[in-house]
Amino acid sequence: MTLLEATNLRRHYQVRAGRGPFGAKAVLRAVDGVSLSLKPGRTLGLVGESGCGKSTTGKLALGFIPPTAGTVRYRGTDMPPAGTPAWRALRPRMQMVYQDPLGALDRRLPVGVQIMEPLAIHGAKSPAKQRDRAAGVMAAVGLQMHQFDRYPHELSGGQRQRVVLARALMTEPDLLVCDEPISALDVSIQAQVVNLLLDLQDQMGIAYLFISHDLKVVRQVSHEVAVMYLGRIVEQGEAEDLFARPLHPYTRALVSAIPVLGPRRERLLLQGDPPNPVDVPSGCAFHTRCPFATAACRAEAPALRTLPDGRQVACHRVEEPALQVAA
Amino acid sequence: MAVRDALPAPLPTSTLATIARRVARLPFAVSLATLWLVLMVVVALGADLLLPYSITAFDLKARLSPPLFFGGVLAHPLGTDELGRDVLSRLIMSIRMSLLIALFGTLIAATLGTALGILAAHFRRFVETLILMAIDFQASMPFMIIALSVLAFFGNSLPLFIGLMGFHSWERYARITRGLTLAANEQGYASAVRQLGAAPGRIYGRHVLPNIASTLIVSMTLTFPEIILLESGLSFLGLGVQPPLTSLGNMVGYGREYITRAPWIMLAPATVIVLTTLSISLLGDWLRDKLDPTLR
Amino acid sequence: MLLFTASRVLRAALTILFVMTFAFVVLRLSGDPALLIMSVDAPPEAIKAFREAWGLERPIWEQYLSYIGHAFTGDFGKSMRDGRPAIDLVMERVPATLAITLPALALKVGLGIPAGVYAALHRNSFADRMTMAVSVAGFTMPSFVLALLLVLLFSVNLGWLPASGADSPTYAILPIITLGASGAAIMARFTRSAMLEVLGQPYIRAASAKGVEWRRVISHHALPNAAIPTVTIIGFMIGSLVAGAVVVESVFAWPGIGRLLVSAVANRDLAVVQAILMVIATWMVLANFTVDMAYGWLDPRVRGTAAAH
Repeated sequence: MTLLEATNLRRHYQVRAGRGPFGAKAVLRAVDGVSLSLKPGRTLGLVGESGCGKSTTGKLALGFIPPTAGTVRYRGTDMPPAGTPAWRALRPRMQMVYQDPLGALDRRLPVGVQIMEPLAIHGAKSPAKQRDRAAGVMAAVGLQMHQFDRYPHELSGGQRQRVVLARALMTEPDLLVCDEPISALDVSIQAQVVNLLLDLQDQMGIAYLFISHDLKVVRQVSHEVAVMYLGRIVEQGEAEDLFARPLHPYTRALVSAIPVLGPRRERLLLQGDPPNPVDVPSGCAFHTRCPFATAACRAEAPALRTLPDGRQVACHRVEEPALQVAA
Repeated sequence: MAVRDALPAPLPTSTLATIARRVARLPFAVSLATLWLVLMVVVALGADLLLPYSITAFDLKARLSPPLFFGGVLAHPLGTDELGRDVLSRLIMSIRMSLLIALFGTLIAATLGTALGILAAHFRRFVETLILMAIDFQASMPFMIIALSVLAFFGNSLPLFIGLMGFHSWERYARITRGLTLAANEQGYASAVRQLGAAPGRIYGRHVLPNIASTLIVSMTLTFPEIILLESGLSFLGLGVQPPLTSLGNMVGYGREYITRAPWIMLAPATVIVLTTLSISLLGDWLRDKLDPTLR
Repeated sequence: MLLFTASRVLRAALTILFVMTFAFVVLRLSGDPALLIMSVDAPPEAIKAFREAWGLERPIWEQYLSYIGHAFTGDFGKSMRDGRPAIDLVMERVPATLAITLPALALKVGLGIPAGVYAALHRNSFADRMTMAVSVAGFTMPSFVLALLLVLLFSVNLGWLPASGADSPTYAILPIITLGASGAAIMARFTRSAMLEVLGQPYIRAASAKGVEWRRVISHHALPNAAIPTVTIIGFMIGSLVAGAVVVESVFAWPGIGRLLVSAVANRDLAVVQAILMVIATWMVLANFTVDMAYGWLDPRVRGTAAAH
C-alpha cells in the first residue's frame, strides 16, 4: 500500500535572467520530472547538492506549493490545492520538520502552547486533554514537563528541534517530511535526534521523507534512497545496496567523498562547478561534469530505468562493465 | 493538576508604588518625558473638571493681562488674551483637542496601514501592486499638500479633519507590516503554522500581529508627534480646528498678532507643543532601543 | 544604467499622473466642478459654457482624459479671485518660493552634514552632545513656533531684521533660517548615525590597519559610503521643504506659492489649488528623480542589479 505517490512532478519558476524589469525571461527548473512513492513506516532518503531541488520536492510532496506539472496522491486521492479547507483538513496526516527550528517557532509564545497548537487548530480536544496529550508527546521526544513554559530562545538547538518534532507528532501523522532536520545542530546532538527519529518510527510507524545532503546520516535512517541532480532523480534504490554499489557516476562521486576510516580509497572527482538550474545542460544534465560523458550523453537525456535487481538509474552507460571501478 | 491559589489582588497603593519605582528606574530624561505625558493625559481627560473658566468667557476689563509672575493676577495665572479669555482654560481645552486629534489620527493610520500591509502580503500580485502604488503615491507628496488639497475640496469639519489626519503616514505602517509579514510568511513561523493547517485568520491574528506589534508601537510614537505638528500647523494657518473650538495651533495663530504686546498668548501653547512632541520622541527612542536593538 | 534611468523616468511620469488623477477624483467627489470652480454668483451662461468647455456632460472617461489633457497643457481654469488663468498666478510666484527654498536646502546640507560628520568623529564629546541636544529642537519645534520666536528675537527685541514682506533681500533672511534650521538639525542627526554605522564596519578597521592615514580613511572610505543613505534623506527633505514653505511663507507674508496655496484653500479657489498641486508634483518628481539618479551613480550595487521592483 502506498501512502504518498508523486508522479512526474515538475516545478518551474519564471525568472528574469538580465537586469531590471526588462531582462530576458528564463525558466528555473527547480524540479523537473520527479516521481516517488512513500510506504507506511518506511524512510525514503533524498540526497543531493544545494540547489538540486530536494527542499522543493519536499514541499511539493506535502502539497504546500502547487506543481507546474505532475500529480501528488495521498492514499489514492489527489492532493487538494494548498490553503483550501480540504488541504488544511489533511494536515494532521502529514507534517514537516525544518532545518531551522528557531525560525519555525513563534518566539513570543511558550513552546508548550506551540506544541498544543495543532490540536487547537483541528479542534479535537478540551484544553485539559490537549495538555495531557502534549505531555505525552513531549515525553516521547525526550523533553521534560518543566520546559513546557519555556520560550524557544531559552532552549538549546537540540531541544528546539525536539519541540518542532513534538508539535509535528501531536496529530499522529502517517508521514513526516524532514527537510535537513539536523544540519543546524551540533554533531553530538545530531546523533541523538537521529536515534529519536528511528525510535519514533518503530513506535508509531511513521513514514519519513528524509531530505539531506549528509550522506552518512541518510544511510543510517533510510530504507530507500533517491539521489537528485538539477531537479531530476539520477539513481534510486535500497539504501545499503546503493551505498555499497553506487552505479550512477554522480552517486559514485558522492559516495567516494564520504570520509571513511582506513586506507585511502580511490576518489572519483568531478570537474567544474554545479551548473545553474536556469541553464540546464542539454541531454543528460550531468554530462558537463561527468568523467564518462560521450556525445550521446550530450544529445539525449537518459530516462530513469529499472535494472533487474530493482535499482533505478538514469545513465546511458551504466551497463558497461568497464566503467565500474572497484570502490 | 492542582489548582494554584489565586494571588490576593494588589492594593492600590502598592500598584502606585510599583509604577513609581519603574518610572524612577528609567533614564532621567525619559522619566521626565513620561511624567509630562502623564500630566498631559490627565489634563486632557479631566479638562471639564479642571477648567477654571469657559473658553469663550469674555472679561473685557481684564484684557491682555500678563501671567502670574509677570505682573498678572491669580485669577488668571497664565494671563488673558485680547478678548479677556483666560489663557489657562483655553490651554487646557486645547490640550484635550490636540491630543484627541493626534490619538485618533494615529489609531486610524495604524489600523488602516496594518490592514493594508497584511492584505498586500497575503494576496500578493494585483492587490499588492495596487497597494504598493498607493503607498508610493502617498510617500511621494508631502502630506501637508495632500491635506490642504482635501481641505480645499471638501471644506472643513471636525470629523473630516480627524479622518484626514488618519491618512498621515498610514503608508509607513503598511510598508513595515508588509515587509515583516512577507518575511514571516517566506521562511518563518507563519509558514510553519500554515503547514500545521491553520487558517489565515489564525496565522495573522495569533502569530504575525503580536510579533510585529512592538515595531508598530514604535512607529506610533513617531506618528503621534507628527500629527500634533501637522494639526497645529494647519490650525495656525486657520485651516484646521475652527473656532469656537480651540487647539494648540489655533491659540498660537491668535497669539501671533499680539506677539509684541502679549507674547504669553502664543508662548503658552507653543511651549506645550514643543514639550509634548519632545517627550513622545524621547519615549519613542527609548522604547525602540528597549524593544528591538536591531532597529535604529 | 540605461534601464535604471528608463524605469525611473517611467515611475516619475506615473506619479504625476496619479497626482492629477487624485485631484480629479477628489474634485468630482466634492460636488459639481462647475459650481465649485466658478464662484457661486457666476451667470448661468458662464456656468453652462464652463461645463461645455470641460465636457461635464460627457461620460466620465472622456472627462478624465480631457482633464488630464488640460492639466498637461497647464490649463486649470481661472482663479476665482481675479479671473486670471490659475497657472499664470502660480508660475509667477514660483521664483519667490525658490528664492527661499533653495538657500534653505543649501543651509540644511551645508550646516547639517558637516555638523553630523563632526559629531560622529568626536563621539560623546561635548560638541557631539551639544549638537544632538540642539538638533532635537529640529523635529520637535514646529516651524511656525520657530518663526515666531525668531521674529520675537530679531525683529521685535533686537530690531535687526524685518518681520514680514519681501521688499529686499534682507527680508528673506528670517524665512530662510526658519526653513533651513529644522532640516539642518534632522540632517545632522541622520548624518551622524550614518557615519557611525559606516565607521563601525570592518572595512574601515581594515583600511586603518593597512596603515592608511586616518584622514584618508574618512575621505575615501567612510564619507562616500555614508553619502548613500544621506542622499536618500535629502530626497525626503525636499518634500518637507515644500510643506515647510507653506507655513513659513504665511508667517513672513512672503509672496510664494505656499502662501498662495493657503489663501486658495481658505477661499476654495479650486483652479489655483489644482494648478499648485501639479506644479508641486512636478517639482517633487524632478527632485526625487535627481536623488534617485544620484543614488544610482553613488551606489555601484544599484547600478548593476534589478532596478525597479
